[in-house]
Amino acid sequence: MSAGASVEALTVSLGAFRLSKIDFAVSRGEILVILGPNGSGKSVTLETIAGFHRPESGRVLIGGHDVTALPPERRNVGFVVQNFGLFPHLSVVQNITIARRQRKALSGTGPAPLLRDDPAALLDYFSIAHLAQRSPSDLSPGEKQRVALARALATAPALFLFDEPFSALDAETHEQLRGELKSYLRMLEIPAIFVSHDRSDAMALADKVVILRNGAIEQSGPVPEALQRPINSFVARFVGVENILSGLAGAMSNSLQTIAIGERTLFAAAHSAPAASAVLLSIRAEDVAIYPAAHQSPTPDGANRFPGRITELQSRGPLVAITADCGFPLRAYLLKRQVHEMKLCSGSDVVVEIAPDAIHLMSG
Amino acid sequence: MARVVSNSRQAVHRHYAAGLWQSNAPPSSPTALYLLCWFLGSILLAFLVIPLVALALTQSAASLAGVARMSDVRDAIMLSLEGAFLSAACAALIGVPLAYGLARSAFYGKGVVAALIDLPLAVPHTVAGIALLMVFGRQGILGAPLQTLAGLKFWGTIAGVVVAMLFVSAPYTVNAARIGFEAVDPRLEKVARTLGLGPWRTFFRITLPLARRSIMTGITLTYARSISEFGAVVILVYYPMTAPVKIYELFLRFGLEQSAAAAVLLLIVSLSLFVLLRTLAQRGGEPQESR
Repeated sequence: MSAGASVEALTVSLGAFRLSKIDFAVSRGEILVILGPNGSGKSVTLETIAGFHRPESGRVLIGGHDVTALPPERRNVGFVVQNFGLFPHLSVVQNITIARRQRKALSGTGPAPLLRDDPAALLDYFSIAHLAQRSPSDLSPGEKQRVALARALATAPALFLFDEPFSALDAETHEQLRGELKSYLRMLEIPAIFVSHDRSDAMALADKVVILRNGAIEQSGPVPEALQRPINSFVARFVGVENILSGLAGAMSNSLQTIAIGERTLFAAAHSAPAASAVLLSIRAEDVAIYPAAHQSPTPDGANRFPGRITELQSRGPLVAITADCGFPLRAYLLKRQVHEMKLCSGSDVVVEIAPDAIHLMSG
Repeated sequence: MARVVSNSRQAVHRHYAAGLWQSNAPPSSPTALYLLCWFLGSILLAFLVIPLVALALTQSAASLAGVARMSDVRDAIMLSLEGAFLSAACAALIGVPLAYGLARSAFYGKGVVAALIDLPLAVPHTVAGIALLMVFGRQGILGAPLQTLAGLKFWGTIAGVVVAMLFVSAPYTVNAARIGFEAVDPRLEKVARTLGLGPWRTFFRITLPLARRSIMTGITLTYARSISEFGAVVILVYYPMTAPVKIYELFLRFGLEQSAAAAVLLLIVSLSLFVLLRTLAQRGGEPQESR
């Protein structure tokens, strides 16, 4: 734990906005992504960790030390902001040498530049030595990112904080720099907290995710957990679940929970809800299989298999998002090639299948 | 790793080459609107320049040399320059901090404070002179105690000149500096703090240099406005005479010819200083904020 960071019951009031009882931890080498819509409090959380807001209650721990009462310049964090926040009046090397080292070095086996107080080594490590005398305005976004990382590393930080660094970039550059950032963070093994409103950042970067709404945590945990088992419909929509259905819980059958949706009955794995209670289901579109009507089912007994009719096809890059009416609307994805092979079009009759363990029950 | 990085860098450079990140659109071709704007604008430019050129053309080098030999004219011009310099220095010392405070804080009544700063621009300068006389005059609420306690006199001294100049010209420094500070992304200051720079160091290493050009522009305007001030100065301190007061006196006593020569001399001195300061203020250019 001492090499990580955590916040405990953090409560912050800023004018009318209130961040309440935020708890999470990130350990060495881990990337935690805080996801939330605008105004959910994710930047306030990050800035409180960095020391720019004084919490009403709760604690911030970085590298095993309680830093709640310390100013930002003594917290030992590397802070990277939108567009990377390079100082435009300083050259690349001046941007790096302005940083003041706070600790001798990181403990353990970090990369060489962390162990030496040497800007040249940092420039080399990030392959930006040839840019040393350039002005930040001459750099590409990728170069800016590397200068920002080198600069943050010059303080030997115990924690990296990223406040939507990519939000002003085009989609292609965003993806590219995100990949590059992830490989650097993996090598550096410094814990990182990354704030974003874009769930693709969580999917691409995160070991853990914290989902915020209106200043409170809706759900937190490992990424697959949040993606597959959203706790409520807000989280489900936010993490991109395309099928959110309401139904009525029925009896257990062969240790599967039955759920009635209109005329249909679905079987969900390992749930048990009070009989006749209203439930919300989340089913990820990628977990829905779709076949031409004549297809013979390969799935074992108990699977959810319904006839349906395609009502809509939408192109999504290499994929096609298909909406089928099977007594209730259901969204599935196919590759473009598969759609052509199956000769699917609006009005085609199909069969859909959902594995019981792909159906997740949520609270309202 | 380095290979991965350099691949992405090449891709990024391709983007640049393709002009995908160019923010400045090429200037549009002249349209009727564009031509009309320049036509109307050139009327204003002519209106501003012609009187000064006409004035300058009335004077021969000999008449300028003649007036430059008059010690009272030289003294008046020197006093104007010194007063304006001190006024600009005072505006920088107490106006720039106010500008930063206004740029970085939100509070109830901020609009009122901003309006107060602009107030001298709306007050006729003779009115300002009378008001200042009430405060800094012999019997003034500050003038009297300051003389008793500190021996500081505002009538008949350069201190009075500076007070009058500062009153009418300080808004330029505060407003320009405030705009300059507001244009500095607060996130840069936050990043500086996390890099281990305390609040003071952050201000002097990051914020101030980034707002430098706006601040210098404001100080230059304050300086220029101070040199040109007549109304407030003539009421608060008649003697020693600043250049505008001296020119007025020459006009009253000797008529247009004598005063025009002194006027052109002042014009040449103050304009060349203004151009020099403006050039210094703009030098290097404001680094473009990456947005």
